[in-house]
Amino acid sequence: MYFPWTEKYKPKTLKEVVGNPDAIQKFVEWVKSWDKGVPKKRAAFIYGPPGTGKTVTVEALANDLKMELVEKNASDYRTEEAVKRFAGLASQYGSLFGTKRIILFDELDGLTGTADKGGVKAITDIIKTAQCPIVLVANNAYDPRFINIRNNCLLIEFKKPSPTEVLKHLKGICQKEGIAAEENALKFIAQRSEGDIRSAVNDLQALAQGKKRLTYDDVSWLGYRDRQETIFTVMRMILYGKTCEGAKRAVDMADVDVDMLFEWIYENAPAHLTDPHDLARAMDALSMADVYRGRIRNTQDWSLMRYVVDFMTAGVAMARVNTKTSGWTPFHFPERIQALSRTREERAMQLEIGRKLKRRCHISAKRASKEVLPYLRIIFKNNAEMAAGLSKWLDLNMEMIEYLAGSKEKTEAISRLLG
Amino acid sequence: MSFEMWAEKYRPKTLDDMVNQKEIVERLKSFVKSRNVPHCIFAGPPGTGKTTAALCLARDLYGEAYREHIMELNASDERGIDVVRETVKTFARVRSIGEVPFKIMILDEADNMTADAQQALRRTMERYTETCRFILCANYSGKIIEPIQSRCAPFRFTHLPREEHDKYLQYIAQKEGLKLLDDGVNAIYEVCSGDLRRAINTLQAAASLGKPIDAKTVYSIAGKANPADVQKMIETAMKGNFLEARKQLRDMIQKYGVAGSDIIRQIHTEIFRTEVPEPWKIKLADIVGEIDYRLVEGADEEVQLSALLARLVEAAHEMKDAKKV
Repeated sequence: MYFPWTEKYKPKTLKEVVGNPDAIQKFVEWVKSWDKGVPKKRAAFIYGPPGTGKTVTVEALANDLKMELVEKNASDYRTEEAVKRFAGLASQYGSLFGTKRIILFDELDGLTGTADKGGVKAITDIIKTAQCPIVLVANNAYDPRFINIRNNCLLIEFKKPSPTEVLKHLKGICQKEGIAAEENALKFIAQRSEGDIRSAVNDLQALAQGKKRLTYDDVSWLGYRDRQETIFTVMRMILYGKTCEGAKRAVDMADVDVDMLFEWIYENAPAHLTDPHDLARAMDALSMADVYRGRIRNTQDWSLMRYVVDFMTAGVAMARVNTKTSGWTPFHFPERIQALSRTREERAMQLEIGRKLKRRCHISAKRASKEVLPYLRIIFKNNAEMAAGLSKWLDLNMEMIEYLAGSKEKTEAISRLLG
Repeated sequence: MSFEMWAEKYRPKTLDDMVNQKEIVERLKSFVKSRNVPHCIFAGPPGTGKTTAALCLARDLYGEAYREHIMELNASDERGIDVVRETVKTFARVRSIGEVPFKIMILDEADNMTADAQQALRRTMERYTETCRFILCANYSGKIIEPIQSRCAPFRFTHLPREEHDKYLQYIAQKEGLKLLDDGVNAIYEVCSGDLRRAINTLQAAASLGKPIDAKTVYSIAGKANPADVQKMIETAMKGNFLEARKQLRDMIQKYGVAGSDIIRQIHTEIFRTEVPEPWKIKLADIVGEIDYRLVEGADEEVQLSALLARLVEAAHEMKDAKKV
């Protein structure tokens, strides 16, 4: 089953929280000061960018100090009345069973003007009379709406943790998951996250779960795009779509073009549709999508594009009959595109040599590079003398000789003979 | 041993040197005698002497300086309409100086020309017939548009008879001082299926190892030179490992540049050799045929062929189920 690593590896104690040691220290001291009586500031306002560990810190602290955490976030109603119902809880430090209590208003930025009408004022009122620690969490404490709240709170700022701190966290996860990850790969994810630990962990899971090794190549493509989150959602909509319409809608959500989306589906469908019949159906749908692409190319009639989309989305979604939707299979960047760019230089070299052959052998450069070059390669690897003679006859340069010979020693042997 | 490409070194120089394609050679000789050559289409499989025949004809016609009177164009390198409009036209319209009043344009791999370019070529052929004659070489004459075909004298090249093939290779071996064993010759014929250029290239690569050439050497050379191991790919798919089979396919296409049409032809041959129940073979052929057709229409060879691999995975799975019952 899919279980987010952000949950699985969420810090349970303050020691595990990544970064912001000073802010955390300040927060802990304030909470502990409640034991000696109600402090001057009855609420703490933790603010900072997303994914820097604000909520996690509060939860970890409650856990460490064995306090009862009462939490309200944006998904709850926060109208004046809803908050007032809370007031009773805030009126005593200890709960019915003697545990100390801490009250958290999370995602305060999410308070909207109309739906949560009066919520801000109600919270302010509670703070003034609170008998237990109240914690407010928001991205931006300097929102004008919070001006009254702010004056009554201890302000604690959370900053983005450094890439080194994020890296350390990622390493820990890889270790627990048994993934051998290249330092470079993790560094790349850490840097890209710009201090957002949550997104870094999400990236890591999307790229690495189920793998034994994670290489730089596996992650470097993340740099191509900013919002890889979207493509994963789009892929789920297509590969696990129940209706044609839903699968087709994925195209509008994707922020890659249709050809690139096709590559994503073509790359990932087999791993997600493992039943042989489902697989055959899915690949057949992609084959038909490609036939329509060919028809577009031949006729330049771009209105046929809708059929390409039909087959590659709905066609693939409907292929799923027998494969169960269990387990978590990661999505990969299309390997074919990486491979193509890796072999580009090689193909250019082959064609260069093909051109040399063409001048001598009455054969097109293209065919020569496919049909004659493989034999040259064998000769250059095995017979320096013959290779040297052919190099002269074909007027090959050192780069070409080295490519055909495939090793430094062989190249040197040939070039010695060439003088 | 000499150090040039033997396929060039031993390419016949004159029509008299050509041991093969006897009837064709006779007709070409009569063209030389009458100092007149029509537009021609030389059609036939690779390595059967099409280009050689054209070059020999030119040499016999113009003498040693024949290069001044001919032009060779490879349609698969320069297949667009612009080439016909510019290069071909410029060459064709200028009269040749000398005994023979026309030049010869050899268009190699003409079946790779776009339909547009062929249409343009048709006009050029008509307009400049007096100053230039065209020889179109192609694997399939069917890919040449009708109007051009009807303007050309057709010549069908066929594979060398086995005897001639063997004799030719032994002749080269003797000249180069090689030890070419009989089973080596057999093996070359088997792996190159009569394509003489490929056969000579195989011989030269085998000779570079510097030992007597037997069947084992030839097979290892062929394996290295032609990495399209279609048989292995089919086996991988039939075992149910689609992803690995697709990777093998990708290597063939991307790394080694094997054409999709070559791969599917080999798959078709291989299907009848694999160990599956007889009735299944024709079912598999149906699958191959369908994808072969889509390959022509589609945009992406790997996508089409991997759809075929997925069908093979499915078929193998069904065979297993059928066995259980």
